[in-house]
Amino acid sequence: MKHTLLALTFGLGLAVNVAAQSTLRIRGSDTLGAKLIPCLAEAFKGQGGKVSFDIAAEGSSTAFSNLAAGTAEIGMSSRKIKPDERTLCRSKGITVNEIEIAWDMITVVVNRNNPISNLKGRHLLQIFAGDIKDWSEVGGTPGPISVYTRNTSSGAYKDFMGLAMKGREYGRKSQKMAGNEQIIAEVSSNLHGIGYVGYAYCGASGVKVVSIDGAAPNPLAVKSYPLSRPTFLYTSGEPAGSIKAFIDFCRSPAGEAVIAKTGFVSHP
Amino acid sequence: MESTAPPSRPPLRSLITRTRRRAASVVLTPPWLIQRYFAASAAATILVLLLILAFLLRESVGFLPAYRSELETYRRSGLEFCDIAREPLKHQQVLASLLRRAKAATADLICKQELADAEIAFDAAIAPVSALLDQLGAIAQQTKALDTEAHTMEATRQQLLAAAASTQNEATQKSLLAEAADLKAAPVDFSERITLILQHREELAAALGSYTVALAHAATKLPEDTALISQVRAAIPRHVSEVKTAAAALKEWQWDRHIPWHRAIVAFFFGSHWITNSPWQDFYGFIPLLVGSAVIALIAVCLATPISVVAAIYTSQFAGAREKEIIKPVIEFIQAIPSVVFGFIGISFLGDAIKGISEWDCLQWVPGFPIQERLNMFNAGCLLAFMAVPTMFSLAEDALNNVPRAYIDASDALGATKLQTVFRVIVPAGIHGILSAILLGLGRVLGETMIVLLVAGNRIAIPDFSAGPGVVFQPAHTLTGIIAQELGEVSRGSTHWQALFMIGSVLFAIALFVNWCARAVARRFEPCRT
Repeated sequence: MKHTLLALTFGLGLAVNVAAQSTLRIRGSDTLGAKLIPCLAEAFKGQGGKVSFDIAAEGSSTAFSNLAAGTAEIGMSSRKIKPDERTLCRSKGITVNEIEIAWDMITVVVNRNNPISNLKGRHLLQIFAGDIKDWSEVGGTPGPISVYTRNTSSGAYKDFMGLAMKGREYGRKSQKMAGNEQIIAEVSSNLHGIGYVGYAYCGASGVKVVSIDGAAPNPLAVKSYPLSRPTFLYTSGEPAGSIKAFIDFCRSPAGEAVIAKTGFVSHP
Repeated sequence: MESTAPPSRPPLRSLITRTRRRAASVVLTPPWLIQRYFAASAAATILVLLLILAFLLRESVGFLPAYRSELETYRRSGLEFCDIAREPLKHQQVLASLLRRAKAATADLICKQELADAEIAFDAAIAPVSALLDQLGAIAQQTKALDTEAHTMEATRQQLLAAAASTQNEATQKSLLAEAADLKAAPVDFSERITLILQHREELAAALGSYTVALAHAATKLPEDTALISQVRAAIPRHVSEVKTAAAALKEWQWDRHIPWHRAIVAFFFGSHWITNSPWQDFYGFIPLLVGSAVIALIAVCLATPISVVAAIYTSQFAGAREKEIIKPVIEFIQAIPSVVFGFIGISFLGDAIKGISEWDCLQWVPGFPIQERLNMFNAGCLLAFMAVPTMFSLAEDALNNVPRAYIDASDALGATKLQTVFRVIVPAGIHGILSAILLGLGRVLGETMIVLLVAGNRIAIPDFSAGPGVVFQPAHTLTGIIAQELGEVSRGSTHWQALFMIGSVLFAIALFVNWCARAVARRFEPCRT
């Protein structure tokens, strides 16, 4: 919510400044829209791009509804387009074009004072599925585990199920938090907490990153980390004009520097 | 009108002409206009309310048939078959978890080794069943995916055909029709696909049978009793009998048995699972959310009632004029604080404060202490109570002020002290008003969204009432919170969307009922006024 507001104010601020220029409307995922895309947009303008941006981040599925309705030039998504979304766009006469923009690593975090620093993939699954209920079962100090997940509207919610849980459901006792920041806040206040956040958030002081099967999230070895996922931009048809200019900028060295700075990885 | 009216009926005619004359003379005067404007405003409000009601009903009315057809697919694809076997096996995970905990807790090396062996035996017992169930589940999921795809394609085809029918351009029409023809998908043959699963029915029953035998055998090798191990030992007979019941149910199960209408109603109103966006099957069960809302409302009302009623008694009966001038506006000012501010207080201060206090040694006798979750029902209840105080205080105070002067005078005349008058005369005479105030406070608490969304902890599960009164320190999710959290994401018109509107309708009905109760209670109090 906060990010949406930030993105909106940012977009509005830009829109007011350069109302005369052409506007790129960007809609979709809050993983991308919170930090990465606004930063890229700012950098793009800084190096002389003559467009204004209007960014709203309310979840990946809004990317496709907006593209289909023609109310966005670019859609951001932290997951691949679903077949029914593709057909929806096609029935409106729009062929979507997919561009892989950056990789994100879903990072598992526990409280700073938790002695656990590595989890087996199988244990991670069992913890989030609710089979393992106590830290002593995985070699930690005894205490009931509190599981924090994102809510159902988040792309990370589904991606984590696919990447870490082999399609199993979250345990009944998991708590669904509205955003990455909230998960950080709860895990850092709860000695027995565990949760997952985007890599950009894992530097917070109250939490500790847990490696999975010995693999810690590392921007230099994204593909060997089991919980990494690509994120995408979608355009209607082949990008052209200012849309193309912006996307080319994102893939240029200057764009890649911004991507790295915001905690994503450009080319794994 | 005048000319068509028959001359034989002068009274009507004179009536019409009279009203017309009056209307002509009255129509443009400012008082008439103002009066009409007021009436129109009232009518518009009622109209908007009716429109909202119609909208809610229109969106939610399709839910039950849609949910029923989802449940039918759930059965016909075989997912239900797998779940019958899976449900009791979940209990095995609980037992295994207890064993692992016992292993971590014991310091005795021999015991540790025995427990490790038992754990391996437990895992080995369930492995063949899980493998078979995973295989069957994959088939069932594939069936469901095929069915969904066929439905999507059919819907798209209809869309394209509709677009083709409405377009004027012949070339576009042709291409749309061609595209629609490409999309023709054969509906899924459930009876053929279900045989893929049902041919393993005997195998599954045998696997479940040998599982119970292996488990019972493993249980005999459990080491010396500690609290955790005896818990496992005690739970095993029940678990075994549950698995046997499930095995019997699997034999009876028929894929093509019709799902009656009331099943969808029961599954919604009495369902204990709210699972959405699931790769397996979505369930829309109402009970966990209702229980969360109800417990939080109860906490809030229990906390707010004493404070607001006592404050109302003091203000109306004991306070001097200057005190009243301070107390009333200050309490009513609380109403002006936006609820999201309360939410922030709950996250950033109250949660930590409650958690900190619960860790004090002198308070460990309180059930549920020390608490683990900052965000819980008690935290939300405290904030909601504070928010409900002004409503309840103002209404209760009004009720007490409305007690007829004659009652008080009579009590004074009989020589009663002030306290006696208050407790024996004024409060009993105003009790209906106080009750109505409490009910209206309850209505306010039930409808509040922002605080519960931020502070209640959002765990979609029926709280564990076996914890006794300590249950209030568990997190929960609420009816209002789930709408706020999930409505933004669901695609318009889907079953999930309709389910959320259904919840909205039920919430509306509950609020209506609470308000009606408050009015009914207050009406009994009316005669005292005269």
